[in-house]
Formats: sequence, C-alpha cells, structure tokens
Amino acid sequence: MQGGSNGIGYGLKYQARCIADVKADTDHTSFLTGTLSLKEENEVHLIRISSAGTELLCEGLFSHPNEIWDLASCPFDQRIFSTVFSSGETYGAAIWQIPELYGQSNSPQLERIASLDAHNSKIKCTLWWPTGRHDKLVSIDEQNLFLWSFDTSKKNAQVQSQESAGVLHSLTGGAWDPHDYNALALTSESSVQLWDLRTMKKTNSIDHPHVRNLDYNVKREYTLVTAEDESGIHIWDLRMLKFPVLDLPGHTHWTWTVKCNPEHEDLILSAGTDSAVNLWLASLPSSDEPTPESFDSPNKPVDPLLNSYSDYEDSVYGLAWSCREPWIFASLSYDGRVVVESIKPHLPRK
Amino acid sequence: MGVDDVPMDDKAKRMRDLLSSFYSPDPSSPSKTPNASSRFATLDTINTTTFDADQYMNLLVQKSNLEGLLQRHVDMAAEIKNLDTDLQMLVYENYNKFVSATDAIKRMKNNIVGMETNMEQLLEKIMSVQSRSDGVNTSLFEKREHIEKLHRTRNLLRKVQFIYDLPATLAKCIKSEAYADAVKYYIGAMPIFKIYGDSSFLDCKRASEEAIAIIIKALQGKVFSDSESIQARAEAVMLLKQLDFPVNNLKEQLFEKLEQFLVDLHLDYKEIRYASSGLGGIPVSASSSAHEASIREFAEAVRAYRVIFPDSEQQLFRLAKELATKHFEATKQHIKKQVSSTDLVAMLRVIWTDVLLMDEVLPEAGLRDFTFEAAHDAIKQYVACRFSHLLLDISDALVKVHDNQKGVIEEEHPLQSALETSKKALVQGSMDALLDSRRLLDENLEVLSSLTDLIIEWVQEGFQDFFRKLNDHFFMLSGKKYSANEDLTFGEGMQGDKVLPELVLLLAQLSVFIEQNAITRITEEISSFSGGGTRGYENSSAFVPAEICRIFRSAGEELLQHYISLKTQKILIVLKKRFTTPNWVKHKEPREVHMFVDLLLQELDTILNEVKQILPEGLQPKHRRTDSNGSATSSRSNPLRDDRLVRSNTQKARSQLLESHLAKLFKQKMEIFTKVEHTQESVITTIIKLFLKSLQEFVRLQTFNRSGFQQIQLDIHFLKTTLKDTAEDEAAVDFLLDEVIVAAAERCLDPIPLEPAILDRLTQAKLAKNSDQSSTS
Repeated sequence: MQGGSNGIGYGLKYQARCIADVKADTDHTSFLTGTLSLKEENEVHLIRISSAGTELLCEGLFSHPNEIWDLASCPFDQRIFSTVFSSGETYGAAIWQIPELYGQSNSPQLERIASLDAHNSKIKCTLWWPTGRHDKLVSIDEQNLFLWSFDTSKKNAQVQSQESAGVLHSLTGGAWDPHDYNALALTSESSVQLWDLRTMKKTNSIDHPHVRNLDYNVKREYTLVTAEDESGIHIWDLRMLKFPVLDLPGHTHWTWTVKCNPEHEDLILSAGTDSAVNLWLASLPSSDEPTPESFDSPNKPVDPLLNSYSDYEDSVYGLAWSCREPWIFASLSYDGRVVVESIKPHLPRK
Repeated sequence: MGVDDVPMDDKAKRMRDLLSSFYSPDPSSPSKTPNASSRFATLDTINTTTFDADQYMNLLVQKSNLEGLLQRHVDMAAEIKNLDTDLQMLVYENYNKFVSATDAIKRMKNNIVGMETNMEQLLEKIMSVQSRSDGVNTSLFEKREHIEKLHRTRNLLRKVQFIYDLPATLAKCIKSEAYADAVKYYIGAMPIFKIYGDSSFLDCKRASEEAIAIIIKALQGKVFSDSESIQARAEAVMLLKQLDFPVNNLKEQLFEKLEQFLVDLHLDYKEIRYASSGLGGIPVSASSSAHEASIREFAEAVRAYRVIFPDSEQQLFRLAKELATKHFEATKQHIKKQVSSTDLVAMLRVIWTDVLLMDEVLPEAGLRDFTFEAAHDAIKQYVACRFSHLLLDISDALVKVHDNQKGVIEEEHPLQSALETSKKALVQGSMDALLDSRRLLDENLEVLSSLTDLIIEWVQEGFQDFFRKLNDHFFMLSGKKYSANEDLTFGEGMQGDKVLPELVLLLAQLSVFIEQNAITRITEEISSFSGGGTRGYENSSAFVPAEICRIFRSAGEELLQHYISLKTQKILIVLKKRFTTPNWVKHKEPREVHMFVDLLLQELDTILNEVKQILPEGLQPKHRRTDSNGSATSSRSNPLRDDRLVRSNTQKARSQLLESHLAKLFKQKMEIFTKVEHTQESVITTIIKLFLKSLQEFVRLQTFNRSGFQQIQLDIHFLKTTLKDTAEDEAAVDFLLDEVIVAAAERCLDPIPLEPAILDRLTQAKLAKNSDQSSTS
C-alpha cells in the first residue's frame, strides 16, 4: 500500500490482460484495452485521459466476440487495432476498425477489417510496423512467424511471407526493432531469437531461457530489455549477446512485462505477478564503447529502482507508456483495473 | 572709539580670520566661531585667536560689578607690564647674540691672511725629500743585484747536490723503511728529472728510479698484507698514489675480494637460516655464530677498505645495500613459500644484527633506513601473502564441498559438516593470521617496533580486503557474477558445470555467519591486537567492520535469494511441463492425484533436507493466522473498503467481479511476499509461496473443462494436506491454494467442483500409496 495511488483509476467489467497506447491519436492520450472473460461477452474499451488529466473517460465501448489475449494499436490510424483472441480451443487474430459513432451508450459493433487466419496453432501476438504508414504486420503463433501485408482501403490482409521457427521452439512473443525495421526479436521457451524479415531467417539468438517479454529501447540502438520469470530484468547489447549489459532485480515473483520509455532512454517500466509495477532507472554506459569491465562493481551506489507502484489487487499483466505524454503510463491488473500514473514525481532531480 | 577705527578694526579682524583659517585644522570652525563667540563668549576667550576686544569689554561690563571691574583692571595692568618686560628681555638677548656673531666673523678674516705662504714652504720641503730618496735607491741597486745572483746560484748548487745524493738517500730510507720520506724526496726531485733526466742526471735518475721501484713493491706488499695496521696500509696506498702508481687496480682487486666474500656469505646465510628455522627461531647454533663471525669479518674488511680508499664510499654503500637486498630477497622467497611469523621474525633478527654490524662500519650508508624500507616491504608482502593464503584455504574448503557434492560420498549431513568445516576454516584462518601478525608485534626488534602502527594498519587493511575478496569469491562460486572474472581459472571451472544450489545455500549461510559472528570476533581480536595503541584503531579506517557486515548482510540475502530462485526455477520447469503438455479443454476425469505433485513434494523434500542441515530453526511460529484472519481484519480494512466502494460506485460497469473483489478485499492484502529470513521455515515457506503463485499464474493462462478443473482441485486439495506441515505461514499458503482454485474456476468453462467426499477419498488413497512406497523403499 505504500505505493500510494496518485494514479487515476478506471474499472473494466471483467478480468483483463492487455492494454495498448493509441499511438496514432495525436490529440489525446488514449489507451485501448480488452477484457478476458471466458463466459461473458468481452469488451474493448477506448479510454481517454480527460483534458484536465484528472479522469479517465470511456470514449468507446465495443463488444468483442472472444476473450482477448493480445491487443495492438495501429501506429498510423487511431481507429484500427488488432487483437489476438481465443476461447477454449478456438483461436484467431483479427484487425478491427472502430466505427465512427463515438460516444453512444449502446455498444456499437466493431468492424472486422481482416482476419489473420493463416495460423494453425495458438496465436501469441501481433506486431505492427513500428512507426509510420506502413501496411505491414507480423503475427506470431507457437511455431510460426507470419508477415502480413495489409490494405486499409481494400480491407484485407495477405500473407506476404511465412517461416517456421521449428516445433521445438515454442514461441511466446516478440518485439519489432524500432531502429532497424527488418529486425525482429522473438521470445521462445529456451532463447531469444533475432530474425531478419527480408530473408525470414533467424540471424542470431540469445541463449537465455524463460524470457517472458522483451522490448527494444526506442532511444538507444542495439539495446534490448528482457523480462524473465525468476531472474528479473536483463538488458542486452545486441552486438554482444553473451552476457547481459545490466541486470535489474525485477519483481518478487515473475516479471511479466517490460516497457522502455519512448523518450527517456534509461527509464524502464516493469509489471509483475507480485501485483506491482516498478519504475527503473537503468543508467547504461555510453553505447559507443560497451565495456564489460565497468560492471565489476555489483554494489552500485544508486538504487536503480525509482519507485514501486504496489497499489494493485492482483497481478499486473498490461503495461503501456503513452507516446504522446511519455511521462504517463497505463497499467492493467488482472482484476480489470486500469491505473494511469505519472512518473514525474519519481524522476531524479537534475 | 572713533569712526576711523572701524575700518581698521575690520581689516585687522579679517586678517586674523584669514590667518586662523589657514592654521586651523577644521576649515568650518573659523566661520562659525565668531558667531559662536559673539553669543556664547566667556571671559576665557582672551587667550584664543578669535579674541574680540569690544565684545570682551561688553561682556566684562555686563558680568562684573564695579569692584570686580577695578580688580580686573589692576590685574590686567600688572599682566601687561609683565608681558612688556618679557618682550624687552627677549629683544635684548637676541641683540647680544647678533653682536657676538659679528665679532667672530671679523676674527676669521684676519687669521686667513698668512696661510698661503705656509703652504708653499711645505711643498718645497717635500720635493727635496723625494730627490734624496731617489739618490739612495740608485746607489744601492748594483749591490743588491749581485747578492740576488749569488743567492740563486747557491740554491741551484744545493739542488744539484740533493739530486746527486738522492739514490743514496733513498737507499738509506729503504733501509730504515722510511718510505714516506723517500717518496717525498723523490717527488721533490721529479721536476728536475723530468727536464734534465735524459742528459746530465741520467745516472742519478736511473739509480733513484730503481730505488723507487723497490719502494713501490714494498708498499704494495704492505697494502695487501692483512697483518699490517689499517693506518699503515692506508698510508702505503697514499704513497703509492703519490707515486702515480695505478691505485685503481689495487682498489678493484680489493673490492672484488669483498664482493666474493659477499657471495660466499650468501650461501652461508642460507644455511644459517635453515638452521635457525629448524631450531624454532633461536639463532644460537654453531653455524649462526659462525655466520655472525663472518659478518663481523666482512664488516672489518669493509672498514679497512673504507679507510684505505676514502673516496670509495659509494661503492661500499652499494655493497652494503646488496647485502641487505640479498637478505630480503631470500626472505621474500620464503614468504612466498608461506612461512610462520616466527620464522619471519628469526630471519629479520638475523638481518638486523647484520645490518647493525654494517651500520657501525658505514653509518653514512643509510643502511638502517634502507633496511627499514625493505623490512617495510617484506612485512607488507608477508601480511598480503598471509591473507591471500587464507583466501585460498577457504576457497579450497568450499571447492571441496563442491567436489564432495558431485562425488558420491555418502555422509549423513554433508552440507552441515561442510558448513562447519568452512566456518572453522574461516575463523581459524583469520585467528591464525591475527596471531601470526601479533607475534610480529610482540617481538621487540627495532625494525618491527618502528613498524608497529603500520603493521596494525596493514593487518586491518588485509582483513578488509580479504573480506571483500571473499565476498566476490562467493558470488563467483554462486555463478551470480559472470563476464567480470570470466578469465579467472576459478570462474571457468564454476561456469562450466551448473551451479549447485546447495553450495549457494552454504555460501549464504556462511555470509550470515561472517556477518553475525566472525566479524565481531575478528573486530574484538583486532582491537585487542592494536592493544595500547588505541590511536591506531580509532583513526584508521582500514578495517571497517560495519562496512564488511553490511556487505555480507546483503550478500547473505542475495545468496539466499539466489538459492530460492535456483530452486524455484527447478520447480518451474516441472510446472511448465505439467501445464503446457496436456490439452486441458479435453481433460479426462481425475482418477488420482497427478504425479507432478509427487515431483514437487520430492523437490521440496530435498530442499527441506538441505535447509535443515544448514539453516537454523526459526522462532516460534508467529501466529499469523490470528493476525491476518478473523476479527482483526475487519477493523483494519474499514477505511480501505470505503475508499474502494466509493471508487467502484462511480464506475458503473461492475457486476460479477465486484463481488469476488469485495470478498477478496476482506481476505487479501496479506503480505504474500515477505522478506526472507535465514531460517528453515522462512526459506521453505518462501519457496512454497513462490511455487503456489506460479501455479496460479499457470492456471490463469489455461482454459479448462470440468475435468481439468477438478483435476486441479484434487491436486490442490492434496497439496493442502501435505503442505500444512511444512509451511510456516499457513494463512498465506492457504490463501494461495484457494487462489489457485479460484483461478482455475475462473478459467473453467464449466466449473463444477468435485464432491468433498471424493476429494478426501482420492487424497487418502494417494497418501496411503505414498506411505506404502516410503515403507517399501
């Protein structure tokens, strides 16, 4: 409870796992979240921070046919997003468009623009081309990687290329390199795999098991942050994959997800199943000369943990920075509570 | 007062004002004082510069009565008269002086007249004196010239005589061994021989050279003979030098002799050292006295050499230093081979006596300082060596643990004994190190006593460094630290095989032991060790027990955490397999408790076994149940609940979850992840909690059919009965178990639980089966 809730709360009706920043919305700071309910009718909420910044308003409430396991917002059109859904044995992924009737009380139907239905095993996540109007999309299932070419006007999506990662590597997720648009990092059971989209081949891998989530550092090239079940957070330099550049202790239970701040290169946010969100300041040595010698001193004087937001009732699975206001992030705990916090009070004074 | 007087008066006044303004220090006062005096004038102003007669009159008339006025008049008249006479006196005196001055000038005029003629006479007389003296000079010149010539001839003759006599003189000198005189004569004759030796004095020269050759030979013999006194030898060398004999050769020969001696001595020294160390550090053996004698001899030789060749000091210094250096090199060699401090002291003692002997001979060589420095280095090295050996010993003990674990050595409590041995190794090693250093201090050797403070500091520094290194080493062994020490031989060995969780646990506990026990003991020991010199202890920051404690406390926590995470990782693999393999949506009806529970319990058993060996038992169970459950909770969560209720009221869309949330609010927010303590219960409980939480998370990722849910329910039910005994924090464990079932129910398409009766029956069956197995095995 010591985390104190300066944040603004918003309640979803059901349990939920995923939240995404609506990057394309340049006028407001808004987030999309989808619920995860096995038996009830699931919903997608479009939430917006009020102009005063004191309230979270529901801008749109749409019903969604299945429970949502992953949700990604289109980086160039604020009305388009993709979901990964499943219930029981059925699974699928689709691209949706929010209808133009904002603000109506009844739940209008989402328009399904395209189905990503080439998969034959459980889909894990979808990734959009990192920035700009680029109609490419990647979807990942347990064994395969699909690159889709997506046409907004014709409203369909076609498989551009596909590659299997092998039956043994059960993929769990991935991230698209914001510096090199041809590079992709995938998490699997036993390693982190780095792929090149042009050749659709694995270029390299980090042999580090149990990676649950990863994120590229938007501001610093060659830097990848991974979250693991037991051993916390590791920061890697993609040019030397043998050892992590920096370790952060992570959470007391699993570290579920990590997100690098879109503006500040050293700020990392992590959410875990110990019902907490941790804000880290990971000061890396200058990227020009990555010297492993400089990490000899394990007892660094500064605690990298800037703050731990622990005012959650359940495990936190969803986490998203706002691209518009990079000092704001939204977190989503399993009980369906969205909390939007500002990190400003915790930043170190300069 | 007439009308004419007024301008006159004004003028006088103005003059006076001007004057007073010129002399007055304050320029503002003259302008003011007239006004002031006109208003506030008193009768005293009569003596001031700004005296105004009219005003004074008026004032006087106003202030005084007639009688006073009359009196005043009389007084004033008298004063005026007095002043008049004074004035007259002054004028008269001055006039008198003037008159006498005029007289004096007149007399001077008269006296000057005769002077010029006197001067002329004087000049004349001086001229005549000069001419006479010139005459005398010329008349005596010739005679003087003659005398001088005669004198020169006589000198020459005497010299010639001397040279002719030289061979005979020399021979006489040789006979009487008066070499010094002989050399003196010869040298005196040298210039003449040089000029005329080839012509007129050939025979003489040859004869005297022969004589000199004999002398040189005699002198050389004298120099080399040890029986001669040093004085004599020195003189001989001096004479040889005067004779332009190549003395340097001699010098080198002698010096080589000394050097040779040093080489021999070194061998000698080694023997002696062995002998002394063999005798327990008391250098009384025959060889040691022989050593001392030889050193004495050497010192004497050096003394002689020094006297003989006074300019050779630098070389001798070098020689002496070489001696000391040789000593210390040998000592250092032995330090590297790990010697006890007694041996070191013995060695130092030998060195010190030698140095003292040498110092007597060569006080300027700074040999003492040199020795201090060298001893400084040697002892420092010794202390450093001591600690590195200690570190090695301990790491050996630990590695042995490591190997033991790998090998199949059957011991009842391998970990426990390993912990004890490493503890002992640590404490005993540290104490030994301290004792050793203390022995250094106890010896009242001059070298050492001057280094006391430094030694104390070094020992403290050594400890500080040692513990820091030990900490690093622990982390390396536990595999937590990579890349940094990759190239070290240790690191590689450890990196290759998997890190053993047992070892990590052992290290964790060892850290705790160091923090809580060893450090205090060592601190005490050190403070007693620095003894009376509390000063050294107070202001030296070399050994900071607080810092070491802090380091090891965090290390202990970290290592324990590491142990837990290593163990949970193992469990996690089991769980992952369990949850990813079956198709939960098409699960069959549960028939028995799933075998993964067995695997888990087995894993828990091994943990329990390890933990029980090493970690202490915790305190009495803290009645958490009553703390976090029951009536106490309601009061605690009241404000909380209100807050939540208000918040949830504003948000309308809450139906189904709200209930369960509210229910949770009363139950939850017990601290699931408490701080791990170094007790058996705490570690076990933490691992169980982490495991259950992971179980919950895995369940949440799946979708179950009714049978799948029931299977989970059954497994949990079984776990509930078995875990109750092991876990300390029952409330939290119960809560987490319930959470797993809740999560499974939430993720179930058709959550219909099993009948409690069936649950019990299946659980009992499993328990019975387990006890069967354990009894048979």
